[in-house]
Amino acid sequence: MQYTWDFSFVYTNWHLLLSGLLNTLKLAAVSLTLGMLIGLFVGLGQLSHRKVVKFISIAYVECFRNLPGIVLIFWFYYAIPIVTAHQVPVFVASFVALSLYTGGYCAEIYRAGIQSISKTQWEAARAIGMNNGQAFRLVIWPQALRRTIPPFCSRAIELVKSTTLASTLAYGDLLYNAKLIAEDQLRPLEAYTLATLIFTAILLPLSYLCIRLEHRLKTYS
Amino acid sequence: MGYDWNFGAVFHHYRELMSGLEGTVKLIVVVLAIALPVGAMLAVIRVKQIPVLRRVVVAYIDFFRTSVALVLVCWCYYALPVLVPVQISTFAAVVIALSLQASAFAAEIFRSGIESVASGQWEAARALGFSESLIMRFVVGPQAIRRVLPVLFVLIVEVTKNTALAGVVSYNELFYNASTIASTTYRGVETLTVVGLIYLIPLLGASQFSRWLERRLARAD
Repeated sequence: MQYTWDFSFVYTNWHLLLSGLLNTLKLAAVSLTLGMLIGLFVGLGQLSHRKVVKFISIAYVECFRNLPGIVLIFWFYYAIPIVTAHQVPVFVASFVALSLYTGGYCAEIYRAGIQSISKTQWEAARAIGMNNGQAFRLVIWPQALRRTIPPFCSRAIELVKSTTLASTLAYGDLLYNAKLIAEDQLRPLEAYTLATLIFTAILLPLSYLCIRLEHRLKTYS
Repeated sequence: MGYDWNFGAVFHHYRELMSGLEGTVKLIVVVLAIALPVGAMLAVIRVKQIPVLRRVVVAYIDFFRTSVALVLVCWCYYALPVLVPVQISTFAAVVIALSLQASAFAAEIFRSGIESVASGQWEAARALGFSESLIMRFVVGPQAIRRVLPVLFVLIVEVTKNTALAGVVSYNELFYNASTIASTTYRGVETLTVVGLIYLIPLLGASQFSRWLERRLARAD
């Protein structure tokens, strides 16, 4: 069986691909920003001396990291209208679910970053007269933040991958629009291959960047 | 907010949930049975520096570890049948997609394990007259696997989470059955809560086991 590839639909449908790509990036950007914010609080909560705060933070991380993202998105899609009494756009359900999901991973990144700083840094800061708050803010935090950059880069990659889950609720992301084109043009092979290649074209360079950042950080510390 | 929770409707469909669970477990077992040996083989080729083959393997690993699982599932389900003359079942399409990605992840895990074994081990074994393949089998391999065991459990968790994507192409697994139950009973939140717990409890166990193993191995070293 000889199949002739035909990508000519790209000329007539490029705007669909472009808007899909922009929607993917929009969802990823919003979810990453919120996820990093949630992760900050939960990550600090995991290190808290208050038992209740610590327990809730750890429970949060364990729950959201051990659930399939697609289950979370559907759960919020059904649950948000119950709370708000309004049907919300798929975008809202998706970014709420993805922010909470990615927040669990971000919390672990912050926690690991802070814990990786040697205890002597705390002791030295206290020895020159800083209190705990000052030591954290001025000595520990800036060092920890530097170490979190490569893992956050990988997290961004994983999040972009997760945004495709929103396409199952008909959010117009790249995968969903590729599916529309596939059905409209009866060219599933070309449309899905193109979607795969576009994702690779974005994520592969980003992953090389992560690896480089990691190497740089290793050589400087 | 006065929402009337009704889990009865969900438990009424426990038979569907059980058959879905069976489909999910089947997927996990088959994907792991393919991805782990293939991943180990790829890792060995990568570290042994076999000239041309190594480049191909690196390209394979980089491509599939940055590819999007759902896009791969859609590609194998909608696009692959156009290319090959044989009928591909939904199960086969999902297994191919998930195994391609999981084997790339497994390869990276095994590679890091092999590289973490000190070069003195290779030299000592060579001095004793072991051949390269015997060293891998009896000296370096066992030590490498021991070290990556905690990460392999993380991989199992990720593979399990990805099997939920099979529901998108209507494969009879847990998430797919959940969405059918949700749409027939109009009890979306309850159904997804129950299904979420079915995913969460074993995965939580696997994650905790992985952490316990990590601590134990760290102490043993």
